[in-house]
Amino acid sequence: MKKLFLFASIAAVFSACSTESLEPIGATDKNNITLEFENRVAAQSLVLNDTKYTNTSGEDFTITTLNYFISNVAFKKTNGTVVKMPDQYFLVRQADKTSLMPVIKDVPAADYTEMTFTIGVDSVKSISAVDQRTGVLDVASYGTDNMYWSWNSGYIFFKMEGISSVAPTNAAGLKKYQYHVGGFGGRTAATANNLRSVTLSLPAVAAVRKSKSPTIHLIADISKVFSGVSPLKIANGAVVMSPAAAGPIANNYAKVFTVDHIH
Amino acid sequence: MPFLILACSAPEKEPEPVAPVAEGLFNPPANFPAPAYALAGNPVTADGFELGKALFNEPMLSRDNSIACAECHNQSYAFTHHGHDVSHGVDNRVGTRNAQPIQNMAWQKEFFWDGGVGDLDLFSVAPIENPLEMDENLGNVLTKLRSSSKYPALFKKAYGSTEITSQKFLKALSQFMISLISANSRYDKFIRKEGGILTADEQEGLNLFKQKCSSCHAGDLFTDQSYRNNGLNIQGSKDEGRFRITENPSDRYKFKVPSLRNVEMTAPYMHDGRFYTLEEVLRHYTTGVQQSQNVDPLVKNGIALSEDEQAKIVAFLKTLTDREFLTNPKFAGN
Repeated sequence: MKKLFLFASIAAVFSACSTESLEPIGATDKNNITLEFENRVAAQSLVLNDTKYTNTSGEDFTITTLNYFISNVAFKKTNGTVVKMPDQYFLVRQADKTSLMPVIKDVPAADYTEMTFTIGVDSVKSISAVDQRTGVLDVASYGTDNMYWSWNSGYIFFKMEGISSVAPTNAAGLKKYQYHVGGFGGRTAATANNLRSVTLSLPAVAAVRKSKSPTIHLIADISKVFSGVSPLKIANGAVVMSPAAAGPIANNYAKVFTVDHIH
Repeated sequence: MPFLILACSAPEKEPEPVAPVAEGLFNPPANFPAPAYALAGNPVTADGFELGKALFNEPMLSRDNSIACAECHNQSYAFTHHGHDVSHGVDNRVGTRNAQPIQNMAWQKEFFWDGGVGDLDLFSVAPIENPLEMDENLGNVLTKLRSSSKYPALFKKAYGSTEITSQKFLKALSQFMISLISANSRYDKFIRKEGGILTADEQEGLNLFKQKCSSCHAGDLFTDQSYRNNGLNIQGSKDEGRFRITENPSDRYKFKVPSLRNVEMTAPYMHDGRFYTLEEVLRHYTTGVQQSQNVDPLVKNGIALSEDEQAKIVAFLKTLTDREFLTNPKFAGN
């Protein structure tokens, strides 16, 4: 594995420096781009359940659940044109390793320097017919870790839960904090819109070729959920599920992502 | 911002061309407007209807396999929960709202007292997953159905394959629900000139109703499908209604204007079932309206009706009872 990583790193450096030497781009050539989401808490790895972290307000917290939807990924070419990859929806769940590396299928061969994605499920998909709701959008697919509000029809874009000594004790006797962020702007009445778009420039060119499918390795610093734009205290609201109240959380988590490297 | 604009302008559906349907299962009445439901995407078939009916009467939809949809939606009472102010769920848990009739669903644009769901195909997920109702998750329902002896065969009959998916499950329930059309009351037969006769009192009641009630209970669906605060005393659960969905303070205490079809059979009344009789409802509108936040201008000052006029309106409302619908054996669970 280590050897493979070393090899991949060298390849990445190599490709970044000399895309000219890659195979030529055929007009209809396509390949995949893998997004690797590595969720961290500041300078620590994110370990569910066991590890206690501290936010910028000095509050302790653990993370028992971390899920978020990624959609509407787009890549910008070196010449400035943007290639949109619609209708590919991903649910990143920290508890499910396979979900941490979503694969964007059929990206046109080109050199890319910037990426954009939406955290959440866009409004068009959020009001789409049940036939359109397959895979991670299937409302039957979540089991007890629900990501769909049935009574106020819409997806939970971002869900983070854990234990904090500053949270009030809930009915189950746990000092639990719960952030469930949804709200796509409303179907027939304007409601809170917590869709957030993230644009990140790539530290090196991501070159897609007929025989080359790069991986973009992203780091999500989850500590910034409490501090990305403005500081949030668990003590001031341990359970946030109302879309109207969740805007500050969404503003913060829109700032958690950086691209670490391409391989 | 573009998301918001899309979200606000998307749902206005063109009237769909009605797909060929099994004889007698989905027949839009002549006095109804175009259906809101996208029929082309889910045409009613005889086997789809039968599957939907079986699911509607299936206790496996609940966590402990104890209650079916039909528990709170009983045909004899226009698919409501007779005698219950609010619906009851598993473990004798008590809900917060009065179960509404399941009738003429293809004409409803939004569902529940607060309009939280805008697509009939997603409607059924809510009572299944509500902890106070069936307290189950949809994925688990599908697992139970797949391992049952009964359902793979019923899905095969309806869809040509034993595969059970959320889409097929939800759309079969929709096929059954949109087939529950109530449009053969004495009033309908009067309006359509099919030999229905209203007494003099009932006719007077109809005229009064048109003057005093039909701004909200509009058209032959007897609802404009808007959300309004009709001036109820804020009590009990202090349910904030439509506000729960929009979080807009101007929607606080507003609830969807319900249809009045079969209203004689759907007691008790209001979102929390607080009034047991139609007479009490009429008394509320004449003398009981409270000046709460967002009270609707149309009822703010009460509706001026003498006791005699109230009685005539009640007499008219009873002409909306559709015996054929309430006793149709086609709709009855086995």
